[in-house]
Amino acid sequence: MSGTDTRWLVLRLSAPMLSFGRVSIDQVGPTARWPGSSMLTGLLANALGWDWDDRARLQALQDRLRFGALILREGDTLTDSQNAQLAKADRGWTTRGAPEGRAGASYDAPHRRRRDFLMDAEYRVVLTLALAEAEPTLDRIGAALDRPARPLFLGRKPCLPTRPLRAGEVRGATVYAALAELNCATPCPAAWPKDDGPDGHRVHDVADTRVWSSGLHGGTRALVEGTL
Amino acid sequence: MPEPRFLQIHTLTSYTAALLNRDDSGLAKRLTYGGAPRTRISSQCLKRHWRIAEDPHALHAIDGADAASRSRELVTRKVLGGLGPEPVVAAIEPVFQKAVYGDKGTSKTARQTLLFGDREIAWLRGEAERLVAEAGGDAGAAAKTAEAWAKDFKKNIAAMRDAVALPGGLTAALFGRMVTSDTSANITAPVHVAHAFTVHGEESESDYFTAVDDLSEDEPGADTIQETELTCGLYYGYVVVDLPGLAKNLGPAAADLSGPILHNLVHLVAEVSPGAKLGSTAPYGRAGLMLLEAGDRQPRSLAEAFRDPVPAAAGMAGATDALTEHLAEMDAAYSTGEDRRFLSLRNTDLPGAARGTLKELADWAAALPAQLS
Repeated sequence: MSGTDTRWLVLRLSAPMLSFGRVSIDQVGPTARWPGSSMLTGLLANALGWDWDDRARLQALQDRLRFGALILREGDTLTDSQNAQLAKADRGWTTRGAPEGRAGASYDAPHRRRRDFLMDAEYRVVLTLALAEAEPTLDRIGAALDRPARPLFLGRKPCLPTRPLRAGEVRGATVYAALAELNCATPCPAAWPKDDGPDGHRVHDVADTRVWSSGLHGGTRALVEGTL
Repeated sequence: MPEPRFLQIHTLTSYTAALLNRDDSGLAKRLTYGGAPRTRISSQCLKRHWRIAEDPHALHAIDGADAASRSRELVTRKVLGGLGPEPVVAAIEPVFQKAVYGDKGTSKTARQTLLFGDREIAWLRGEAERLVAEAGGDAGAAAKTAEAWAKDFKKNIAAMRDAVALPGGLTAALFGRMVTSDTSANITAPVHVAHAFTVHGEESESDYFTAVDDLSEDEPGADTIQETELTCGLYYGYVVVDLPGLAKNLGPAAADLSGPILHNLVHLVAEVSPGAKLGSTAPYGRAGLMLLEAGDRQPRSLAEAFRDPVPAAAGMAGATDALTEHLAEMDAAYSTGEDRRFLSLRNTDLPGAARGTLKELADWAAALPAQLS
């Protein structure tokens, strides 16, 4: 799986507002500094036209994903305050056979929540897939980014990109080596998986993997932050 | 011409002395872009006003009459079609017709228009297949288990019927619907709306105002003193419609409704203001520029045209020039080949785009779904 010949797709993430959703608690939806594993899995799956219910395929794609990111322009945080008018009678049908209603008593009051975004950020992501021969291949993903099955967005639906996401390819033995091929002019903050490059400045655990069978996030992985 | 899978809608719309969208402190929502703070209108705010607009082009004004005739065949064709054996299917059909269309559902003419998309049809079809399999060829048993099924799932089916009846089903087909606990029942919104922001740095004024009590026996004086924020802005707005996604959500009604929906949506985006403080600021504006693009490449906004803020004095002319220049640069770099139409209050052209009136643009958009293979 390693070797200097490993191919990496380069993704350009650039928009007035984008978001790398972290675990939300209650009405607060924070954003992480780095794009997450489940977010990129969803992004690629969206380009491929997969459905939420393609759980096994989504899990397999996430398991194969190997990636890192660097920041060309750091985004400031924007906290958007959102109100939704919901009614107690609101309900939706489910595939389980019983409708889902709403609990709580705060009616006619709006449902309020906060969502964080990154403003004016510009990122590059390098990604490759383990089991290079398996479907979808890197080539297939690249083609799907050019002509996606659905419009692509960066984290949340209103976060629409200003550029084509696909930004060429690089080669390198590790995530770090692939990021280094991107030649940022000034030192750039970057993040790569532990053991997929040098030690960097610090290592921390990120909870960015989804257990697709349940739809919930679970587990952590060690992410190294440093500069390039 | 590429297949028109995606319709991208770009607008420039001007509002003066208004407070279109507030945050929790009562101030205008903002966004810093290219180092300059701008005022912003959230996508939720825009969508809500397009959804609920009382307007000649309102979504609920779309005539579902043609779609009705197709949607009345929904159970017969999509849910039970192709299932066998025939006596078993015949035995459960009345139950399904009533479950889906209500008590008068066995009479075709009494059925209402329902926008069952892929999600609903898949669930109903799965249930029908299960009941047919369980009956093991016994029509009498099938009728009984189907009755029991309809009873057990009565509430769920009622919730489904509420969700897909016109006109509510139409807004869900456009703007999506989420059931928190069940992603299989969620409808993915085919309309993507970016937050709109001013193409220039924020122009904000704190409006100090008093209200005078003219009827007071005392010397008339200020009865209340308050402050509010008013902003002026030329906003860049961006919307993408996923045409195949819209067709999926509309189900069998797509052939009749996709075109009229796009037609009205183009009008709504150009003409409906995200208004607040209607009585005191009259925030009614129409797009001074609208660019439509149809193509199959990854949709991208043209927001970067305004990352360097347009000088306020340059106004609509400066913004149009910036957009034109950026679009030409994007074409030169990526040659994505979209088919384009535009309307503009200015006499300058946009790269690769044919000029038209709003009506012509809306008609052009309405004709796109028929070009999908």
